[in-house]
Amino acid sequence: MSAIIDKIFANATKFIAIGVLLLVAWIFTVLFEHSLESIEAFGFSFLTETKWAPNLEKFGALPAIYGSVVSTFLAMILAVPLAIGVAIFLSEIAHSKIKTPVGVSIELLAAIPSVIYGMWGLFYFVPIIRDIFGGIGISMLTAGIVLSIMILPFMAAVTRDAMNTTPDILKESAYALGGTKWDVVKDIIIPYAKAGIIGSFILALGRAIGETMAVTFVMGNVHKISADLTQPATSIPVTLANEFAEADSGLYYSSLFELSLLLLVISFTIISIAKFYFLRRKRIGQ
Amino acid sequence: MATIVDIATEKALEVKNFEFTYAGADEPNIKKLTMPIAKHSITALIGPSGCGKTTLLRSFNRMHDLYPGNKYGGEILFKDRNILGSKEDLIKLRTQIGMIFQKPTAFPMSIFDNVAYGLRLQGLKNKTELQDRVEKALQDAAIWQEAKDRLRHDANGLSGGQQQRLCIARAIAVEPEVLLFDEPTSALDPISTAGIEELVVELRKRVSIIIVTHNMQQAARVSDYTGFMYLGELVELGRTEELFVTPKEKLTEEYITGKFG
Repeated sequence: MSAIIDKIFANATKFIAIGVLLLVAWIFTVLFEHSLESIEAFGFSFLTETKWAPNLEKFGALPAIYGSVVSTFLAMILAVPLAIGVAIFLSEIAHSKIKTPVGVSIELLAAIPSVIYGMWGLFYFVPIIRDIFGGIGISMLTAGIVLSIMILPFMAAVTRDAMNTTPDILKESAYALGGTKWDVVKDIIIPYAKAGIIGSFILALGRAIGETMAVTFVMGNVHKISADLTQPATSIPVTLANEFAEADSGLYYSSLFELSLLLLVISFTIISIAKFYFLRRKRIGQ
Repeated sequence: MATIVDIATEKALEVKNFEFTYAGADEPNIKKLTMPIAKHSITALIGPSGCGKTTLLRSFNRMHDLYPGNKYGGEILFKDRNILGSKEDLIKLRTQIGMIFQKPTAFPMSIFDNVAYGLRLQGLKNKTELQDRVEKALQDAAIWQEAKDRLRHDANGLSGGQQQRLCIARAIAVEPEVLLFDEPTSALDPISTAGIEELVVELRKRVSIIIVTHNMQQAARVSDYTGFMYLGELVELGRTEELFVTPKEKLTEEYITGKFG
């Protein structure tokens, strides 16, 4: 009897697990199916065309791709050093009385819904950027900064956790050779936790590139490629959030689906790379 | 009071009325401990778990300072100065008093870089000199033969016993005057243990050694002096061959004959 129950249980869990895979495949299929019209119409040039003109039925994804890449890149440049600094402070320097409250509040920051970052960015950050850098304030730069603030807590928390996995005895060995705190952080902790730290960066990158609400408020949804960071721009998720409601033609609709397919593929790739790093760390730990 | 044998030779360290209290503890973990450590000899510290032997060992290089709130009292004299002073240069102290840990602690870098680490911390940049001193340290730690063809390989690829000898090479590369061993063979197999013990005896010619061990046979095999600690106090310090054969204190006798522990 119990053998039968075990078998039923095993099969039920197997079914559910496979269900998740099917769900992902289903999403992918739906996106692909709806993209077909656009793929047939534009082919590869969809990725290289800079014009996005719904009234002319011409759709090119390059400005959105450019915006996604540049805003994410800006966010990473700003957030990585800060995240490492916060993580080092929390794992090695802060007194235990400060460590816990600051650590917990950083984890809480990571839980703030992104729409709130977006609103805050629009009402308080846009004017500041406008005053300092000129332009209208709604811009690529603002989006990069808001994104960096949004991913910072997550990155700092995961980086700190990775650093905390360094065995005390290893750190003590370096101190016992006459190392300073800085020597130990730079030569022992960061190399030891490297895989986990890079993994956290890539996960944050994945989050930044797919982020919608926080940047929709501050980016402007302007399909133009401009080297001037104070100009408004767009990104893949920003375009999707702004334009689905007004997609009046089949090709317009299909082009938006192709954009979302693109985003899915990019995010998948990034998460896979992150997982690869995390898995590698696990293997070393065994 | 503890029975302390006269140390014939010069002293490497002198512990005087030493007290140590862990952060948050009401009672000191080590109470009024006085003990000489002979130069160019091996002093073993034995005693049951929690007797304070590792705590004492970690006081010699002020390892306890890495964690806030720990308190020292009394004096530990090294080169005629009290190293427990608040102005003590801990970086310099730790290059003069090295330490080997319970588990091998190869750094996440190559074998060469592991041994060169302490030297580089001291600012040694000259390539040939680094090479010479790394080679010498590896030879002195009896691991040169195994390591010479893979100096650039990750040190974590070595076996446990090899890693522990690598750690010894790393510690002696900076030419310390005292080496502290904190149960250095507790994670090793009997053959690697024998290798480390042989090495410790060999090193005595150049450095003064203090070794904490759970293994009384090990203390008897390698050391010149043995200190028996119990409940944070030194019960007896004697020449090893005398302490194990004719202990002066009843407590020592009971411990080494296995009546408790």
